[in-house]
Amino acid sequence: MKWNNRWLSRLLPFFGDNMANNVVLEKDYANFARSLFILLLVLVLTPLTIISGLSHYQYKQLLQKEELTQLMLNIEQAESTIERFVSKLQSVVRFVGSADRYEELLNPDKLKALFTRLQEEYPDFADIEIIDSQGKQKSYIGPYKLVGYDHTEQQWYQEVLNRGVYISHVFSGYRQVPHFVIAVSRKHLDREGSWVLRVTIDGKILQRYVDTISTTSVADIYMVDADNVAQTQPRKFGKLGQKIRLHVPEKVNYDSSTILPIALSFFDFKHLEKVNYDLSNDFSEHEGIAQKDAKISVLKTEQGTDVLYVDVALKNTPWHLVMVKELYIHGNAWFFFQLRLFFILFSCIIIAVLVILKISTGITAYIREGDRKREHFLAEAESASKLASIGQLAAGVAHEINNPLSIINQKAGLVEDYFEMTGPFQYKKEMQGALDGIQESVLRCKTITHRLLGFARHTDVQTEEIEINVLLKEVVAFLAKEATYNQISIDFDLDDTVQNIFSDRSQLQQVFLNIVNNAVDAIGKNGRILLSSSKIDQDTIKIKITDTGEGMSADVQRRIFDPFFTTKETGKGTGLGLSISYGILKKLGGTIKVQSEIGKGTTFVITLPVTHD
Amino acid sequence: MIDSKVLIIDDEVEFASTLCQRLRLRGIETAEAHSGADGGAKIEEFKPDIIILDLKMPDMNGLDMLAEVKGRDPQVEVIMLTGHGSTASGIEAMEKGAFDYIMKPVDLGELLNKLEQADQKRSETQHDN
Repeated sequence: MKWNNRWLSRLLPFFGDNMANNVVLEKDYANFARSLFILLLVLVLTPLTIISGLSHYQYKQLLQKEELTQLMLNIEQAESTIERFVSKLQSVVRFVGSADRYEELLNPDKLKALFTRLQEEYPDFADIEIIDSQGKQKSYIGPYKLVGYDHTEQQWYQEVLNRGVYISHVFSGYRQVPHFVIAVSRKHLDREGSWVLRVTIDGKILQRYVDTISTTSVADIYMVDADNVAQTQPRKFGKLGQKIRLHVPEKVNYDSSTILPIALSFFDFKHLEKVNYDLSNDFSEHEGIAQKDAKISVLKTEQGTDVLYVDVALKNTPWHLVMVKELYIHGNAWFFFQLRLFFILFSCIIIAVLVILKISTGITAYIREGDRKREHFLAEAESASKLASIGQLAAGVAHEINNPLSIINQKAGLVEDYFEMTGPFQYKKEMQGALDGIQESVLRCKTITHRLLGFARHTDVQTEEIEINVLLKEVVAFLAKEATYNQISIDFDLDDTVQNIFSDRSQLQQVFLNIVNNAVDAIGKNGRILLSSSKIDQDTIKIKITDTGEGMSADVQRRIFDPFFTTKETGKGTGLGLSISYGILKKLGGTIKVQSEIGKGTTFVITLPVTHD
Repeated sequence: MIDSKVLIIDDEVEFASTLCQRLRLRGIETAEAHSGADGGAKIEEFKPDIIILDLKMPDMNGLDMLAEVKGRDPQVEVIMLTGHGSTASGIEAMEKGAFDYIMKPVDLGELLNKLEQADQKRSETQHDN
């Protein structure tokens, strides 16, 4: 709590000593408004930014997962289709090359008839040949004359003998047309050794399949061999029969053949970090892929585009199926999503800033107004309490002084009585003068004590109907002579429609007399006093008394209604006039305010209620 | 010419005696008392027609004394002396039966004027009786 209090008090403007210093106070209010603005802004923008960031991250994750999942599905389907097709081709070749058909197939006519039937079904079958257990070609149907050719030194021949089946890479060979070979070996039923049936198939057949499974959602799909040489024509990343330009890293980001689930240590995060792509999805969902020799990575193309690269080894073939997809995250959709998110965030920030600005300035204005009222109230209360305590003191002092004053008065009177009864003597005249002086001083003291007592007492208000304009003129009439003598013009700006009020005539006379008298004193010689009356509303009237005197400083203005405060020379003012006026107006339900500027003059603004309870 | 006997009751001895002296110089029969109790005794002894009574004394409130005086003899006129500078206490006293009030410091001319009026009132009342 202590911390809170300290923190709060640091935030709130410090009004204590600054009450009098408007510049410092305004600075405090500005600081408060600024602190409040920043605090609210942080409170609002922090969660907003966090939520936006999280949304951005989550959406990106979601998109990546969806993209990856889609690619997985695509490649699974494609891989399965091609594998089925190759398997079918193998089955056909195996069927044609049944172990018991060796003799039959050696007959060129029969082989031709068989090949013709095969071509009806598979027009891409280019040639067919039978090789005996010595590696020599025995029978051949195709565009070349290859009968008698010895295959024993060929690598494929050894392979087919060892494994029973062989599928070659796609190559051009004599034909200058991409093609591949499927060969099967069969053991002779009646003797040692194996014979081989070899079929050459046009590479177009693979191209057609790849084209069939190709979709627009992927940038490229093609087949490569183990050396990354294109087996079908890629759309973008290379040429058939040539090494693919797309760089395949030695370490791929995901290799299903190595480990499952994903081993993070095996990941090449270098490029992933760069493209900020998360491949750490659980590939166990894609069992088909997981069980195969699959490689998944994010690669950079020669054009600098980041692509998602999936490579799956096709079962029982020397081929790999490759799918390349441009990352969604670099596509227009993602860009527009980010643009929308930024626009929403930016709009929210602008709205938040405007609302918070309004709130912080509003609260500051509210506090400023509250402080102004409090200051006003404190000043009033202080003034009232000062008046009350000083009033009591004054009354006590006046009462106590009255008694010795009465004695002086009576003693002097007695001496005067004796003087009258006594005949002339030396210095009688001078002594008489001194006695008169004593009586005059007593009279002056009497005036002061009576004023002091009047200041403190609560006299009844004698209410009567008053024409305020007439009253003001009556008051001025008292001072007209003195004003004329000092070349001061007293003018009126009276509103004829101002309503009559019900108040205490003599007390109001005293108030206006005090103020006009002060105005005359303030001007000294040559000047102008303007008295104006006006109507504020149905219940209140306003009287302004303006002089062209020397004006007052802010400090003097603050103390002007304090009892015994005077700027007049000693003996010329009691300092009670304005404080009595203040007390009277308060009692009559009115107010008095002073506006003054040094060198320009002073205006007293008085308001009075039309009726007073 | 004031024929009435005037008693001054005020706790300020110097004031009471000086005022007494001045009234005597003007041919008025006067006596003085300096407290409420003293005043009560002096009334019995001196039998004044008019009493100049201080509103505030240490041992007795002037208004209580006024009530006592008026209770004893309604014919006695009382002029209240007030040091409060306020007409309110004087008016209150008048409502309770005082003839008039005068504020301290006292202007002798004004006091003589009020004494004359009181004296006149007494003589008129006596004539009526």
